[in-house]
Amino acid sequence: MFKQIKDLAGGEFYLIASLLIFMVFFIMVGVYLIKMNKAHIAEMSNLPINEPQTADGYEEV
Amino acid sequence: MQLEKFTYDNKIVRDFGIATIVWGIIGMLVGLLVATQLFSPSMNLGNQYTTFGRIRPLHTNAVIFAFVGNAIFMGVYYSLQRLLKARMFSNALSKIHFWGWQLIIVSAVITLPLGITSSHEYAELEWPIDIAITLIWVVFGINMFGTIIKRRERHLYVAIWFYIATFVTIAVLHIVNSFQLPISFLKSYYVFAGVQDALVQWWYGHNAVAFFLTTPYLGMMYYFLPKMANRPVYSYKLSILHFWSLIFIYIWAGPHHLLYTSLPGWAQSLGVAFSIMLIAPSWGGMINGLLTLRGAWDKVREDVTLKFMVVALTAYGMATFEGPMLSLKQINGVAHFTDWIVAHVHVGALGWNGFLTFGVLYWLIPRIYKTELFSKKLASFHFWIGTLGILFYAIPMYWAGFTQGLMWKEFTDEGLLKYANFLTTTLQIIPMHILRSIGGALYLIGAIAMTYNLAKTMLKGKLVANEAAEAMPLEKEITNEDPADKKWHRILERKPMKFMVISMIVILIGGMVEMMPTFTIESNVPTIASVKPYSPLELEGRDLYIKEGCVNCHSQTIRPFRSETERYGEYSKAGEFVYDHPFLWGSKRTGPDLHRIGGKYSNAWHYNHMLDPTSMSPGSIMPSYPWLITQKLDISMTEAKIRAMQTLGVPYRENFDAVAQAKLKEQAETIAADLKQNNIDVKSDREIIALIAYLQRMGTDIKANKTTIPSNQ
Ligand code: HEM
Ligand code: HEM
Repeated sequence: MFKQIKDLAGGEFYLIASLLIFMVFFIMVGVYLIKMNKAHIAEMSNLPINEPQTADGYEEV
Repeated sequence: MQLEKFTYDNKIVRDFGIATIVWGIIGMLVGLLVATQLFSPSMNLGNQYTTFGRIRPLHTNAVIFAFVGNAIFMGVYYSLQRLLKARMFSNALSKIHFWGWQLIIVSAVITLPLGITSSHEYAELEWPIDIAITLIWVVFGINMFGTIIKRRERHLYVAIWFYIATFVTIAVLHIVNSFQLPISFLKSYYVFAGVQDALVQWWYGHNAVAFFLTTPYLGMMYYFLPKMANRPVYSYKLSILHFWSLIFIYIWAGPHHLLYTSLPGWAQSLGVAFSIMLIAPSWGGMINGLLTLRGAWDKVREDVTLKFMVVALTAYGMATFEGPMLSLKQINGVAHFTDWIVAHVHVGALGWNGFLTFGVLYWLIPRIYKTELFSKKLASFHFWIGTLGILFYAIPMYWAGFTQGLMWKEFTDEGLLKYANFLTTTLQIIPMHILRSIGGALYLIGAIAMTYNLAKTMLKGKLVANEAAEAMPLEKEITNEDPADKKWHRILERKPMKFMVISMIVILIGGMVEMMPTFTIESNVPTIASVKPYSPLELEGRDLYIKEGCVNCHSQTIRPFRSETERYGEYSKAGEFVYDHPFLWGSKRTGPDLHRIGGKYSNAWHYNHMLDPTSMSPGSIMPSYPWLITQKLDISMTEAKIRAMQTLGVPYRENFDAVAQAKLKEQAETIAADLKQNNIDVKSDREIIALIAYLQRMGTDIKANKTTIPSNQ
């Protein structure tokens, strides 16, 4: 399985550079996630549910 | 501060909903017609406007851009307003968006059967329609961002990120894959040729799947699933992680459509590596969706909309598990060009897109009509017959794909191809194709039942065109900001424009790393001295090949396997395609590869074969093309075509356009004279002559120095 992404006759540079770019990006997102605050997450995930009541409240059908 | 009163626009949601249903039925009917053509050539209906080659793109365009497209707009217009606590930015823009989109679809329905096509898969529409698409897409964007700007909710929920990423990426993809040089109002050539054109096309094609069939649907999933189950999404953190990883990784994966072709090896490997990585963010989304329903499975048992959602997510999980597997070279070597890919496509299309759309329709229509669904029983019937339809579609196609893929590769003990005649492998899978169309019919019956059910629901209730709501306005200046609010993501959640720019940068990286070297470093496309531009007659023949949609059944790229070089001849080299604007490699081998067809048969063979394929290949399912023999070749644009090619860098000698007509006629006379020798009386100015000229030229430039050519059958 790994043969097809090894032995690239000079093309390794692209592969390694691309994977490194992704690693850096992924770690950035990861660090951010770890630092996220709980109350904020709860607020965000409840956004679709805590919608403003429509005038006659039939949303609850 | 005071509560503000405002209304939600439900009418536009309803309009997009009806368009979804109507185009869905039409698109699937065409799909069913196309499916029957693959086992019964008489279903081509004996005229040029309904042959498989022209109608297949009509199916794909209708289901993707009309059915799925309208469903996306329906979902976005409903959820965006509610998530932002604001009415859509402009009623006028909403209307223009709606009618503009329908007009674009109508123009596709007219032009595709007429053979007006650019040949790029999922981007077949010609340049004036491309421009219209761009304009309407911008209208959609302004309407969306306008709404975001006047919102009453500070934070943008994750669904909206998916919508923004969809908007930006589709805009970039569409524009880059539309670089065409117009020759007339309805004809153009792609600016890139051969390998480069292929790379751009599949960067587009794969990401049309990613950003039209996937990201907007994930956005809808993140809004509608919590609504339906009445509980928040399982993990908001996971949704952020999988959003950014998904859009970053997806854009690199295009080359998995070009494995073993003459695309540079390193680009193929990049495609493979990122496709395999793609399984993680895709499953992140699926798991997040399914776990949202944890503890609510009793609801799933009762609620048909949730059932549709569960199957949709499961199908998404299957398609995104299978996709990375299909990207492994060994597996792709068997699956590519076969029905296996068609099965993969429809698990995603029928399961994920179709079922999620149905779920949302069943949920949303009764709500905006302030009533209950007309019949829960009928909806339940739809669910079961639809699921059965998917199974009857997918299983036979997998079977057919494995069977044919392996038959193509099988050798006898003596080292000869076991099924040297391509047609044997076609006939073997006919029963599977019959079963598949039964599956399609079941799925369609379900959709028709839904149409009836929803129409009854609409008649029972009354549309709340403008639904009243109220919310606090947003403070303009935030005075005592929480320090946590300075974190970059919370800033992104509040600053939609910055968010859009960053997501654009993220999606540009992959495309640039793959394209720039392929376009600039010469060694990536080694030239071959003996490869020459097409003669004027061949060029006209090539345009007929495009017009008739031959590329929808025949590939023009021979992979470097013994089973292929034995069957078709020398494998295809990048340098052979440098004058191919556009490339015509194809993605499905319903018939044999044609790259080395040139010189393999006589002109008379081709004439008889096009007139009646079964006369030369008994049992063939290829449609017959009698009109090629009666219709005069249109040469009014030949000079313009030559000049256009020169502009694109094809080295015709100076002022060649002036003699192009004479050259064309001279070559046509030679072919007609040769046919005459074989007792075929046909005028030299007919379309068939040009098509034969092109077929006889194909792949011969590098054959010049070869003595024997292995059999093609
Ligand atoms: C009644 C339902 C349907 C039937 C009977 C059907 C049938 C077909 C057939 C016969 C083909 C041509 C395959 C070939 O060339 O061998 C096809 C291709 C395709 N269909 Fe469908 N289809 C249906 C629904 C859909 C839906 C709902 C979607 C999308 C949302 C869809 C998307 C596609 C795509 C993308 C292709 C091109 C596949 C490729 O190039 O590999 N189809 N369909
Ligand atoms: C992780 C996600 C996925 C990956 C890595 C992936 C990978 C692939 C691969 C390798 C092919 C075959 C290319 C070939 O040999 O011709 C393919 C074809 C295709 N896939 Fe996927 N797939 C994924 C998910 C999906 C989903 C969810 C859908 C639909 C909703 C989809 C729709 C298609 C279509 C339409 C084609 C046919 C393109 C053509 O040849 O015309 N894919 N995919």
